[in-house]
Amino acid sequence: MDEIAVRFEHVSMAFPGVLANDDVTLDVRRGEVFALVGENGAGKSTLMNVLYGINTPTDGRVFIAGREVTDFSPRTAIGLGVGMVHQHFMLVPSFTVAQNIVLGREPRRGRAFFDNAAAESTTRRLVAEYGLEVDPSEPVEELSVGLQQRVEILKTLYRGAEILILDEPTAVLTPQETEELFAVIRRVVREKNMTVIIITHKLYEVLAISDRVGVMRKGQLVGVRDTSQVDEQTLASMMVGRPVLYDHLEKTGAPGDVLIQVEDLTVRDNRELTAVDGLSLSVRAGEILGIAAVEGNGQSELIEAITGMRRIEAGRVTICGRDATGLDPGAIRALGLAHVPEDRLATGVSRNGTVTDNLLAGRQREKRFNRFGLARRTSTIQRYARELYERFDIRGAGTDSAVGDLSGGNMQKVVIAREFSFDSPVLIIAQPTRGVDVGAIEFIHSQIIARRNAGCAILLCSADLDEVFRLADRIVTLYEGKITGEFTGEFSKDEIGLGMTGGRRDKEAAS
Amino acid sequence: MLEDILSSVFSPGTFNQMLRSATPVALAALGGAMTEHAGIMNIGMDGMILMGAFFGVLGSYLFGSAAAGVALVLAMGVVVGLFFALFTVKFRSDEFIIGTALNTFALGLTSFLSRSIFGTAGTKGNPALPVVHIPGLDSIPFLGQVLNDNSLFIYLTWALVLVMWLFVYRTPYGFWLRASGEKPETLRTAGIAPERMKWLASILCGILCGLAGAHLSLGQLQGTFAEDMANSRGYIAFACVIFSKANPAVAYGAALMFGFFDAIGLRLQDYVSSDLTSTIPYVITIVMMVYVVVRSQRRKRRAGRRLSPRQG
Amino acid sequence: MKKRFHWGYLGSLCASVLLAFAIGAVILAIAGFSPLKAYAAMVDGAFSNARHIGDWLEYAMVLCLTGLACVLGSRVGIFNVGGEGQLLLGAVVGCQVGVWLAGRSAWIVLPAAALAAMATGGLYALIPGWLKVKVKVNEVITTIMLNTIAASLCQYLAKGPWKNPNKNMVAATAQLDSRYWLSKLIPGSNLSTAILAAVVITFLTWYVMEKTSTGYEMKLTGQNPRFAFFSGIKTDRIVIVCMVISGAMCGLVGMFRVYGAEHLYRSSISNQYYFEGLTVAMIAGYQPVTVIFLSFFFAILKIGAQGMELTAGVPNQIYLIIQTVIIFFMAAESGVFASLRASSQRKKARADIRRKEGRDHA
Repeated sequence: MDEIAVRFEHVSMAFPGVLANDDVTLDVRRGEVFALVGENGAGKSTLMNVLYGINTPTDGRVFIAGREVTDFSPRTAIGLGVGMVHQHFMLVPSFTVAQNIVLGREPRRGRAFFDNAAAESTTRRLVAEYGLEVDPSEPVEELSVGLQQRVEILKTLYRGAEILILDEPTAVLTPQETEELFAVIRRVVREKNMTVIIITHKLYEVLAISDRVGVMRKGQLVGVRDTSQVDEQTLASMMVGRPVLYDHLEKTGAPGDVLIQVEDLTVRDNRELTAVDGLSLSVRAGEILGIAAVEGNGQSELIEAITGMRRIEAGRVTICGRDATGLDPGAIRALGLAHVPEDRLATGVSRNGTVTDNLLAGRQREKRFNRFGLARRTSTIQRYARELYERFDIRGAGTDSAVGDLSGGNMQKVVIAREFSFDSPVLIIAQPTRGVDVGAIEFIHSQIIARRNAGCAILLCSADLDEVFRLADRIVTLYEGKITGEFTGEFSKDEIGLGMTGGRRDKEAAS
Repeated sequence: MLEDILSSVFSPGTFNQMLRSATPVALAALGGAMTEHAGIMNIGMDGMILMGAFFGVLGSYLFGSAAAGVALVLAMGVVVGLFFALFTVKFRSDEFIIGTALNTFALGLTSFLSRSIFGTAGTKGNPALPVVHIPGLDSIPFLGQVLNDNSLFIYLTWALVLVMWLFVYRTPYGFWLRASGEKPETLRTAGIAPERMKWLASILCGILCGLAGAHLSLGQLQGTFAEDMANSRGYIAFACVIFSKANPAVAYGAALMFGFFDAIGLRLQDYVSSDLTSTIPYVITIVMMVYVVVRSQRRKRRAGRRLSPRQG
Repeated sequence: MKKRFHWGYLGSLCASVLLAFAIGAVILAIAGFSPLKAYAAMVDGAFSNARHIGDWLEYAMVLCLTGLACVLGSRVGIFNVGGEGQLLLGAVVGCQVGVWLAGRSAWIVLPAAALAAMATGGLYALIPGWLKVKVKVNEVITTIMLNTIAASLCQYLAKGPWKNPNKNMVAATAQLDSRYWLSKLIPGSNLSTAILAAVVITFLTWYVMEKTSTGYEMKLTGQNPRFAFFSGIKTDRIVIVCMVISGAMCGLVGMFRVYGAEHLYRSSISNQYYFEGLTVAMIAGYQPVTVIFLSFFFAILKIGAQGMELTAGVPNQIYLIIQTVIIFFMAAESGVFASLRASSQRKKARADIRRKEGRDHA
């Protein structure tokens, strides 16, 4: 039990401009579940990528099962029995389950040919051995996220993994799927004496599954504890480096008129599947409506439909009392809506554009920035951008540098600064703090509350449930494109969790 | 009159012409399928074909044998493939810029060398690829006339279609190739460098496009090189690749379709200006590109209807 | 910051040009020419007399306008590779308008011809533009196909319905009445008053792209169309409009070639000129001002190469080779530079850690 499976000795990993791992020394024992926690950017994934051979450490030594790793490559790591399930799945969508599992170590017929039958029978054997039910001949693109994760785990097992790294495995799972995953983890540890390292930032999961826990902060390993010796509070303080006492967010004022009205909305997703299914909701001035849902239950499509980024199949959207159905984003913005999109890089900024250009977007036609509508007033524009830059405390190389060079948090501040500067009565905010560091989170939260207190109607959608709890006045749960519950006052995590999985009724129907 | 046109259009000669016109496009499309699977947008095929056409004739002219021409083309194909991969894979340059530049470079180089070596009149009648006669095939009516007595590479192409199809869909390397384009990280985490597959695809593409050019100059035109003789075939091949989703067998079918319309255009020349009929295959290519998009959208929508739990 | 970037670009451009001439010399030597003599003939060809200077400026105009037409598309994220076809169609239609309106005042004929040429080029560019925006068909393939189609179509018109009444003229349209010819600025050369219009157009294009809110919206659309749409810009419309204007510019170049130089339509009106403009735009990194300057440089090369062909018998295609090799060198340079920078940053990071550890241990 006390045999060492993995040992890091003074491991440092530097990327241009960032020291992602700073002198980490850590032992992971054979047959334990080791949780690695820390905030976004604390260096957890980087450390695990070192173990899996994707990163060659800038300094330090790594031992796997007592042998020092000299040549850092996934091939070597796989050879030493390391398997990794990445946060973003490493599966080829058009290949079948079996083809994905054997990729790189294919069974062959003759010398040159791929033996599909052997691949499928091997997969079937693994499925039976570990009880991870999945159809070997199904193309991966047609599987649910939970099943895709199973394929990932099976892939590592096929490659003979004894040390299994799981990077944020529960981020995209429903609570039931999470429970199933944990059962699998317990089983492989108990029956096969495997070592599991799980990266997460959900503390209750750490307590539920791990034997020991290591906490990382700003690239350093700040402590390793037996899980039985800690609680969520202790871990949270270790992660942040100080006691976590969120500032109290003062909410004032009473709700006013309905500013966002959605009636019987139906929207399709990119695969032309019904993503939002006859949904209705409304948000009043001076109110934050939070949407709680597991990823992929229609919340993204709902927001895109309201803001004009996606075609509406049926139903009606009203913004500030005026019909916004089927308008383009520009026309909807003119009705008084601003939008912080969920995918900042794809939608929220122009990465190659300067900070100034990004802050200006949407205002370029305003009179004060144009001379007779013919020439841009460059100096006025620059002054305006610098003012926002200061006010929203954006930290980077100035307003003339490219937005793509900013850190995630500062990039998000550019988006927030631009969208909040419109003083629009309606705000649609998705994932406001994804990949943002703690200091910026508090700043962004206070900005959101300030807008609420100023009388904005705010629709908030976040994968971080705690964030929704903290900010929202009212919460609706969304499941498969439908509202499954509405909550006000004191929120109960259990009830909301139930709503996110479709409620009891649906569960019975499914079984 | 109409009867004349129809009987001329649906004669064995038309279908034989279809086969001839389709072959260079098909060979290039096979190469394009490789780079497409590897996730490289290759619009430089036109230049690769042109260089194949020139160096085939050059080898034949210098060494007095078509085999030497083909050998030179193979070497050239490898070099061009390496060159293309150096930029698109190693340097990660813009594929559009490199492809376009390669086409213009090929046009400049082949015209320059052709004029320097052969003079402005170009060259004709160098040793050409043999015509293959299959005894007994003549006894089959119609088909015999279509399939028999064709230039060597027409038959070689059939073999290559089969080989490439097996390679892509039935060998581990084919799986690696497709993974390298569709999701390179999967390959990297499996311990295989996806760049290696991209290099390989690029080299194969260089060779196959080179052969396409060699077929044009040494096969179809019996040892003749003319400036810009690729005549946008590389782009048509690219359209075939997109149309077929880089499936070698389907790409061959698409090339046959191009060949068919080209053949019809040639037949109709007796009735309509050749300048008009020669546009037919290009118009068809545009129609094909539009059809590809419309088809995929319609398919998605149908799948969406089927999978959606309930209609809104 | 900005300045350093420009110097870096200039440095790599100069290095690439020198290297490309070196490669050109090797190819010349292989083909059995003396590189020194050839290059001397090239310089001589470019500057030997006033006529060449006129030809040089005229060709610089063609490169500049076609290059800017390409930039106009790429600015909003659509690659107009079909300028050649738009140019040819603009030329043949513009010419025919002059033939039809024969007898009327030049003040009517010239604007009418210019408008007709622009409309033709613009409409012909509308096809791939519309297909790209509304149907999402890759514009590179469609524009290339449309080039070939346009060339055949023009050939058909010049041989058939619009052919020259003179039986000895094959594949050419009827000649324009000489009073519609644009007057020459340098007698005997191709340089006509068209260049004055070209200067205005060049200025306007630059001004709209760099100085107006429209230009800003174009830039955003090209950088990230989803973001541009999100922020309220009508991206579909802007892309189509830019494509149409790009086509109209090409059509106008065709009309300039007819009314300024050739005085009738035949295929020599443009010998893949658009692709040379496109190459210039690529070398210039799609920067309008750089396109303008490089047009003059590459026009010297082209005219020099033509002179070289006449005096030294060296095929002028060496010009295409040199031009594309410059692109390759610039692409290689940025690729090599990027990997060098990455490795030096890695080294620096490593050194930083060592230093830090040294401090910790001390």
